[in-house]
Amino acid sequence: MSNDEIFAAAYREHYWAVSRYVARRLRGRADEVEEVVAEVFTVAWRRRADLPATPLPWLYGVARNCLANAVRGRGRRRRLVDRLGNDEAAHARHVAAGPDAEAPGAWVHEALDRLSPADREVLRLAAWEELGADEIAVALGCGSRAAAMRLHRARNRLRAEIDRLRPPVAVAAATAPADATPCEDDRHG
Amino acid sequence: MADELELLRRANPVPDDAPHFADGPLDGRAEHRLQRLLNEPRPGRRFRPLPASAGRTGRARLVWGLAATAVVLVIAVNAVLGDPGTSRAVAAPRPLTVHAASAPVPLRDMVALADAAAAAGSPGPRKGTHVQSWSLGMSDGKPPVTLPEERVVRWRADASHTELVVATDPRRPGRPVLTDEGGEPHLVADGHVISRTTYPPMWSDAPPEAPPPHTAARLRVYLTEIARTQADRGTAALSTAELLDAVAELLGHWTLGARESAAVVRLFAGTGGLRPAGEVTDRLGRPGHAYVYDARGVRHMLILEPRTGAVLGMEDTFTEDAPEYGVKAGAVMGYSAWMR
Repeated sequence: MSNDEIFAAAYREHYWAVSRYVARRLRGRADEVEEVVAEVFTVAWRRRADLPATPLPWLYGVARNCLANAVRGRGRRRRLVDRLGNDEAAHARHVAAGPDAEAPGAWVHEALDRLSPADREVLRLAAWEELGADEIAVALGCGSRAAAMRLHRARNRLRAEIDRLRPPVAVAAATAPADATPCEDDRHG
Repeated sequence: MADELELLRRANPVPDDAPHFADGPLDGRAEHRLQRLLNEPRPGRRFRPLPASAGRTGRARLVWGLAATAVVLVIAVNAVLGDPGTSRAVAAPRPLTVHAASAPVPLRDMVALADAAAAAGSPGPRKGTHVQSWSLGMSDGKPPVTLPEERVVRWRADASHTELVVATDPRRPGRPVLTDEGGEPHLVADGHVISRTTYPPMWSDAPPEAPPPHTAARLRVYLTEIARTQADRGTAALSTAELLDAVAELLGHWTLGARESAAVVRLFAGTGGLRPAGEVTDRLGRPGHAYVYDARGVRHMLILEPRTGAVLGMEDTFTEDAPEYGVKAGAVMGYSAWMR
C-alpha cells in the first residue's frame, strides 16, 4: 500500500477514537472538537511518511500537540480560550461528593485537576484511552520505561489527592452509625 | 474502594460509546475532509513565486506592498530550531502601543464618520480576503513562537476560488520566517508558499459565505448566525466578545464595502463593551483608532480606520501568565491585519 492508502485506512479506522481523545480534553461542543480533529489529521497527512504500523498512539501524540498549539484562526482561538475559561469556572463549582459516592466523576476530575498537566495526561492516556506503557511512550514521545515510571508516579499522586479530597462526612458515614451523622440530623434533634 | 485508575476510568467524560463519537463509518464531513486531503496539491508542486527584491507586480505586492516597522522582542527559539545563528531572525512583536497624548474617539463619533464615508455607497463588498496574521504557537515544554502568515482568498466569476498562504512578516522583509508547516516550527525563506489551493465552484446562502447585509439590524442577524448555534440565536444580543469573533470570521471571507463597515461600527458602538483607547499605528504602518475590551485574561483590541471606520485589525494580548504554555502576560496571542 502507498503512504496515501495507509493514511486513508488509519483515518477511517481511528477518526472516532481521535475525536473522543479531543472531546475528553476539550470538553467542548461537537463542532469545536471536529475542527481540532480536522487539524490533527491535516498534520498527520503532512507527516504520513512517519505513520507507524500501529498509528493510534502516534495520532494521540499529534492530537496532544494540536490541542496545546495555537489554533490558527483567531476566532477559533478565542473560542477555545473561552472554553478553557468556562471549564475552569465549571470545575470551581464542582461539589466534592467523596470517593464513596455513586457518581465519582466530579471529585475525580477535581483530584485530577490538582495534578500537573504531565501527570494528568499520562493518567488520562492510561484510563480513558486505555493505553499501555509502550503506547503511552509513543503518544508522549518518550521511552517505555520513562512512560511506565511517569504513570506510576502520577498514580501515586492521584491517589494522594483522592485521599486528601475525601471529606470527613464521607469517612464518618462509612464507619459510624446513622444517629452519629452530623449537621442535618442534629437540627431535627 | 476501587483503585485510582479505575475511578478515573469510570469518570471518563466521553466513553467509547458516547453519542456522536462512537466507532463506526465516517460521517459526511469527515469523509469530505479525507477526500480533500487525498486530493490536495502535493508539496512537490509548491514553489516560491515571489522575487527576492521588492518588486511591484501583482504577486510581489503580496509581500512587499506593506510598510515595515520595528520588531522588538527576540524569543528563545534555539530550543526549537537547534541553530543558534537563526535565533535573531525570529521575533515576537509586542502589543501595539497607544500614542501618548492622542485623544480617544468615542465609537458613536466613528459611527457618524463611517456613515458619512458610506454615503456614496462605494467601495462595495468583495468576496475573498487579504489578511496578514501573526499567531502565537504554543506547545508543552517548548517556548511559544510567533508564526507570521499572509493569506489571500480570491473568488472567480464561476464561484471557484483560490487560497494562497505565504510565510512572510512584512515588518522584516527578506528575513527568514518561522512556520510550523509540517508540524514543527522551522525557518523558511520570506515568501515561502505554505499552501496554494484551488477550490471548485461552490455556493452557499449561509453566513459567512452569503453576502453580508449593509444595515446594522440585518447584519446583527447575520453575525448572530455566525456566532451562535441555531438553538441559542433567539436569546440575548451578541456580547462584545461574540461580536468581535463573528466580525473576524466575516472578515476571513469578505472584504467589506463602506456600507457594511459602517454597519459593523454601529454594532460595535451598540454593545458598549469597547473602550476607546486612542490612536495607534498598526503593524502595517497604518494609522488607526484603537478600542479595547478585556475579558478572561485576554485584552482584545479593535483597530478602525480613522476616516471610514473600516476594521484594519484585531489584536489579542494575554493579560495574565499562562505558565502551562510558557506564555507571559503581555504576549500577543494573535494579530490580524486586513487589507483591501
